[in-house]
Amino acid sequence: MPELIAFVLLLAITAYSTAGGVDFGAGIWDLLAGPSERGRRARALIDHAMAPVWEVNNVWLVLAIVLCWTGFPLLFQVVFAGLYPLFTFALIGLILRGAFFAFRHIADQPRAHRLADLVFGVSSVLTPFFFAASLGAIASGRLVPFSPMSIAFGLVSVAATAFSGASFLVGDARRYGAEELVGYFRRRAVAAALVLIAVGTVALVTIGLQAPGLLRSMLTGKGLPFALVTMVLTPTVVFLLWRGVYRWYRVLTVAAVGSLVFAWAFAQSPYLVPGQLTIDQAIAPPGAQVLLLIVSAVLLLVIAPAMGLLYYLDQKGALESTEG
Amino acid sequence: MTSAVWLASEPALLPSRIQMAFTLASHVLLVPLGVALPSLTLLMEGIGLSRKDPVAIKIARRWSVVMAVQFAVGAVTGTILSFEFGILWPRMMGRFGSAFGLGFAIEGLAFFLEAIFIGIYLYGWNRLPPRLHFLLGLVLPPTGLVGAFGVLAANAWMNTPAGITLEGGRLTNVDVLAALFTRALGYEFWHFVIAIYMTAGFVVASVYAVAWLRGRRDHYQRLAFAVPFTVAALLTPVQLAVGDLSARALTEDQPAKFAAIEITWQTRDHNPEVILGLIDDSGRVHLGISVPSLDSLLVGYSPNAIVRGLRSFPADARPSSVEANIAHLAFDLMVGLGSAGALVALWHLWVLARRRRPPDSVWFYRLAALAGVGSYVAVEAGWVTTEVGRQPWIVYGLMRVSDAVTTAPASFVWTMLATLIVVYALIAFFFISLLLRLAARWRREDLGEPSAPEVGVPYGPRPGKFTPDA
Repeated sequence: MPELIAFVLLLAITAYSTAGGVDFGAGIWDLLAGPSERGRRARALIDHAMAPVWEVNNVWLVLAIVLCWTGFPLLFQVVFAGLYPLFTFALIGLILRGAFFAFRHIADQPRAHRLADLVFGVSSVLTPFFFAASLGAIASGRLVPFSPMSIAFGLVSVAATAFSGASFLVGDARRYGAEELVGYFRRRAVAAALVLIAVGTVALVTIGLQAPGLLRSMLTGKGLPFALVTMVLTPTVVFLLWRGVYRWYRVLTVAAVGSLVFAWAFAQSPYLVPGQLTIDQAIAPPGAQVLLLIVSAVLLLVIAPAMGLLYYLDQKGALESTEG
Repeated sequence: MTSAVWLASEPALLPSRIQMAFTLASHVLLVPLGVALPSLTLLMEGIGLSRKDPVAIKIARRWSVVMAVQFAVGAVTGTILSFEFGILWPRMMGRFGSAFGLGFAIEGLAFFLEAIFIGIYLYGWNRLPPRLHFLLGLVLPPTGLVGAFGVLAANAWMNTPAGITLEGGRLTNVDVLAALFTRALGYEFWHFVIAIYMTAGFVVASVYAVAWLRGRRDHYQRLAFAVPFTVAALLTPVQLAVGDLSARALTEDQPAKFAAIEITWQTRDHNPEVILGLIDDSGRVHLGISVPSLDSLLVGYSPNAIVRGLRSFPADARPSSVEANIAHLAFDLMVGLGSAGALVALWHLWVLARRRRPPDSVWFYRLAALAGVGSYVAVEAGWVTTEVGRQPWIVYGLMRVSDAVTTAPASFVWTMLATLIVVYALIAFFFISLLLRLAARWRREDLGEPSAPEVGVPYGPRPGKFTPDA
């Protein structure tokens, strides 16, 4: 049962990394779009694509936090006691991002609008960086905020979110008939994927230097299948987009990024903090475990159909504004 | 005195307490409309559907926009709070997370559902069949209530912890039901839920009270004022009774908090009720109006009823005099505002019952306009009463706030606090300017420029077509 709860926690983290990553990635491309006419069009598409779903992904984050403190209170304590600066930076980035995304819709003056764009874009880079850096600090087993591994994890996540953001924006450009932006984001998705592969390789070397045990498990142990999936799927998406084959690329993007998270988590299991804290040591007493499993089951039974309904209505166009 | 000692030994304690108080106080302001506005909106939509009244539907649709924006801001401030539990109080979470956190697990679930259905409700106007739209909206009030239940279960657990087995300082077992349904939950839940429904009603109505004062007197204004105000007015007397029960329950569940609220120093019978006034470190009460024996009468229905005083608790297990004064004045403020609200509510109900319409007096609408702000102040005051009255405990009788606080340097927490204050001020500014902008646009529309109420709202649905040049 403790493993099952750890797995649910991992699912929440993965959902946030993939779904939230698409949002953060869009913000990164917003920042990089620049002041040109084409950049302005790209930003307009990003705005249009994000408007109805942005911030919904925060729910995954809250869920992960709540699962962590109820299910693994000791993990929550040691992680926050050691890594509070990273979480504080990520948190401030998260709020600024949300606030300024909203603000740029109501900003009247061009200067205010540019400021809103800038804050939104920069916080879209910093937030995933600091969240992932905390995972890197955990993986290193030392729980110090800044170390080669925390920085490496942070950089990987920025590349991964840029990759998934661009990949999904290709789809949005196609869906909303912005033909000239399809190629624009396709090239960016390919570039981001190549950066991801490069940064990922550097990260593996860093892990090898700082936590050789973890690297061994990633390349020969429980992490291997997931590491392989990422290593195969990322070039596959590059190939598909390069050739202009617009099928499966979004699903495969999510699978590639999700596998990356799984590769880390499975490689360090049964440790929650390598060398310090295992799942069995940190798990809440049995009563709380039962409640968490019930909550998880309800989540599956109720939330999945509800999200399905939302998705169905959205695809049917039932949720788009009627006038104007 | 005692607080001063802890403040010296735990440098991060003061900024952590201020930060938690600041972020919670901000979040509490968003809760009433977040939880209760969906119900008012559905009530209005239901009126519109059953009476085939397009004006009621229009009001409901506009309220739903405010509801969604407000929900999104509340989601942000709520996310911050969940991180603060770890950043500021890691030792409390490490020891008690699996009991204290249970309610939040349920709340997380409800929050998830609410987010999805607010999306469906907001985007579904005029796209879904009206009856189906209304039925899907009916999911919202229960999710809000379940969410409130989760948070209040956690807070009640801090006030009257139960359902846990501690061995050598480690939590070895949790009885889930006992930990969720603690003694304080019953009254805390009803007291708070009624408070937020009252607040939502008074706040929404106050907007249209101002409109009345500015001369708008049409069907739209009358409906949008009367429905929420009547809901709040009907709940007000219930709240007085529930509030009275809550205060009385404290004499058994948290006697030190009760002593602080009443600034009672000596345990005694014929205890007077002190209205306003301050207590000093030696237990003397200054200023204030003292009504002989009233406290004893209220607690035990007899002047001979004995009320326990602050002095009967060890100095390190009761609120300091400063904390007692804060809790006491906040309590008096809450009760005072509640009683004033009850008078305005009675006026409304009296006229409504006799003439089937709200009162026609300028003074009534002035008071009704103030009732919105007054409700917010009362909710804050009630929350201050329960939180400050629990000091020095974070978990009553089991863990002190000073034993839960982070070991981070005080300078870090102060800097974080300063940053949060700036960011919250920005969010408040954006939020309020957005609401004002919406109000102005809707007013223009009522004077003759039609468009969908959600267009241009950052949380609203996108237009059907993407136009890069828009």
